[in-house]
Amino acid sequence: MADFEKISELMQKGKADEVKQLCADALEEGVNPKDVLDKALLAAMNIVGEKFKNNEVFVPEVLIAARAMNFGLEVLKPAMVDDDIEEIGKVVIGTVKGDLHDIGKNLVKIMFEGKGLTVIDLGADVSADKFVEAAVNEGANIIACSALLTTTMTQMESVVKAAEDAGIRDKVTIMVGGAPVTEKFCDSIGADIYTADAATASEKALEACSK
Amino acid sequence: MTGKEKVLAVLNKEKIDSIPWLPFAGVHAGKLKGYTAREVSTDAEKLIKSLREVNKLYKPDGQPVMFDLQIEAEILGCDLVWSEDAPPTVASHPLSESTDIPDTIPAATDGRIPLSIEAMKAMKAEFGDTTALYGLITGPFTLSSHLRGTNIFMDMIMNPDYVKDLLSYCVKVAKAVSGYYIEAGMDVIAVVDPLISQISPDHFEEFMAVPFAEVFDFIRSSGAKSSFFVCGNATANIAPMCKTNPDSISVDENVDLAAAKKVTDEHNIVIGGNIPLTSVMLFGTQQDNMKNTVDLIDSVDNTDLLIIAPGCDMPYDIPVENTIGVQQAVHQTEQIREMVKNYEGSEIEFEGELPDYANLEKPFIEVFTLDSITCAACTYMKASAVDIKEHFGDKVDMVEYKYTEPQNIARCKVMEVKQLPSIYINGKLKYSSIIPNRSEFIAEVEKCL
Ligand code: B12
Repeated sequence: MADFEKISELMQKGKADEVKQLCADALEEGVNPKDVLDKALLAAMNIVGEKFKNNEVFVPEVLIAARAMNFGLEVLKPAMVDDDIEEIGKVVIGTVKGDLHDIGKNLVKIMFEGKGLTVIDLGADVSADKFVEAAVNEGANIIACSALLTTTMTQMESVVKAAEDAGIRDKVTIMVGGAPVTEKFCDSIGADIYTADAATASEKALEACSK
Repeated sequence: MTGKEKVLAVLNKEKIDSIPWLPFAGVHAGKLKGYTAREVSTDAEKLIKSLREVNKLYKPDGQPVMFDLQIEAEILGCDLVWSEDAPPTVASHPLSESTDIPDTIPAATDGRIPLSIEAMKAMKAEFGDTTALYGLITGPFTLSSHLRGTNIFMDMIMNPDYVKDLLSYCVKVAKAVSGYYIEAGMDVIAVVDPLISQISPDHFEEFMAVPFAEVFDFIRSSGAKSSFFVCGNATANIAPMCKTNPDSISVDENVDLAAAKKVTDEHNIVIGGNIPLTSVMLFGTQQDNMKNTVDLIDSVDNTDLLIIAPGCDMPYDIPVENTIGVQQAVHQTEQIREMVKNYEGSEIEFEGELPDYANLEKPFIEVFTLDSITCAACTYMKASAVDIKEHFGDKVDMVEYKYTEPQNIARCKVMEVKQLPSIYINGKLKYSSIIPNRSEFIAEVEKCL
């Protein structure tokens, strides 16, 4: 019987090859791939997210765990039947124009993926138009913007405006975050969701998609 | 004691009865002279003029010359994106696809190092006796990440030897650049490494302990003092940072200064920090800044081995009066504590009567100051008004209101004066914080004659 606990522990330590092997073994044994995904990989990512939030682990540990998760996903994905990979939601994410801080954005992306969301990463220094264009093309449920500078956080307002201008404002949820951003700022620019950390962001994103 | 003597005494771990003040005016310096961030990052003359203004208005005990973590990276092949209201940013990483270790060491003639050195020498000549001058270099870990990109974090786990080699190379760069800056007269070299806040203490021990200790030893043996600047939540790394033996550490508002100071005190290392850059300095009022600084000073167990500074590089647009407020609160803590108390105590009623501004006989110049004796910017503001009064003689009236008097605080409230020092003509705000030049001031008064 597959040991979800063990896969989770190895994933948290970033042991990518072991995770991959154990996922393959589980499939051999006939375990449902969706179960391995939910009970081992995504469960592990949840724990990592919580620990990061509480300053128990740091950026390298999160990135390495995410890598191990992707190794596991590689073997699970092909084995999943179509209704297992039903799309929960699609997110377009990026750091706003003029801003090249991308560590926080990358972690948010990882946590989103850890909830099973599909994420399209536009990178850093992304203009408002690019966010909206990608959201339209991809049919995204969520636009997630990250900003770390007080001089660039105002760009988020342009994203909200661009979404209005493109006529998709009522179809997308706009999430904002990054160190200088606050709930109050989020409200003032007419964005929908602010959270202070990546783990909570992924929970809210999931909620928003299941509405 | 001069500011320089204060800073050096504290860095020599002596007990003195005042706290040094170190405003991190990087590109913000340009704002004082109306230059953009890009101008002060590329034009020595404009940079020097701006730094002179910082020295004049902010009365620093210690002062950085440039706060730009992109100087070394630019020379080593990173592309920069320029901005008018922020320092440039690294936008590409030459080693993102390769694990080669470079061997180029920047020369004193490369990139913007000559600009930096020119400004250092000019500042040294002008303020070298009175102000401790800080030369800032990019720390080895942040420089490694500029070169390699954020892959460096994964490399720490997957390819640790490569990271160690890259860090050793960056240590060579750090030593070379420190050497140039020490030769140009810098009293203190600050090794600025914001990325340190993003790794665990275990990773710090594994990768950073040796390289950073080597840089600090080098600075010490070259006759300068050192500081380890970090931004972000570096709480977990304060003790390991102390063990690399810098003379001082500087932290931002994500770190609880009082708690961190207990750790630095144990290691007999100076700590500097950490007025919040955004919530207080950029968006707060002058009152908030004074109050915050007094509260910060009150929060620590003792004020030995302490420097008060903004959390990190000051955003370009910080209102000048906010920095002046912090400066006053560091240098005149007791007086400012009283002012804050009087301001907060809403019971003080304004007992006087405001002039009938619409029907004055002659132009009326009112100068509002924190205290024109101790606050440099206030002294200049008052002097410019005195000068104008002399110029016009009996044709104008002039008065100064010092904020040290409760009744003057009440007057400020009634008149909604929010920034000090400032000059009002006929009840209207004309100048605040930045001293007007003589001819524009004269023209302004003539309009009212
Ligand atoms: C690391 C760092 C850098 C690195 C960036 C490397 C990289 N590839 O990202 C380097 C050294 C390159 C850098 C450069 C600069 N930096 Co910097 N940097 C930092 C630092 C220390 C940590 C940021 C970080 O990565 N944190 C870790 C991540 C995980 O946290 P996070 O980004 O906050 O993300 C979390 C949450 O905010 C949230 N979140 C993030 N995004 C989103 C998005 C959504 C939708 C949601 C819901 C949530 C969310 O979830 C994340 C995980 O929990 C901060 C300090 C700080 N106080 O934040 C300064 C800081 C952001 N930098 C600052 C400055 C000034 C600069 C420079 C201008 C420095 C200079 N003088 O040259 C340049 C400019 C760069 C530019 N134009 O983009 C200032 C900004 C001041 C301001 N308020 O404007 C800060 C605050 C430092 C300070 N105290 O002064 N920096």
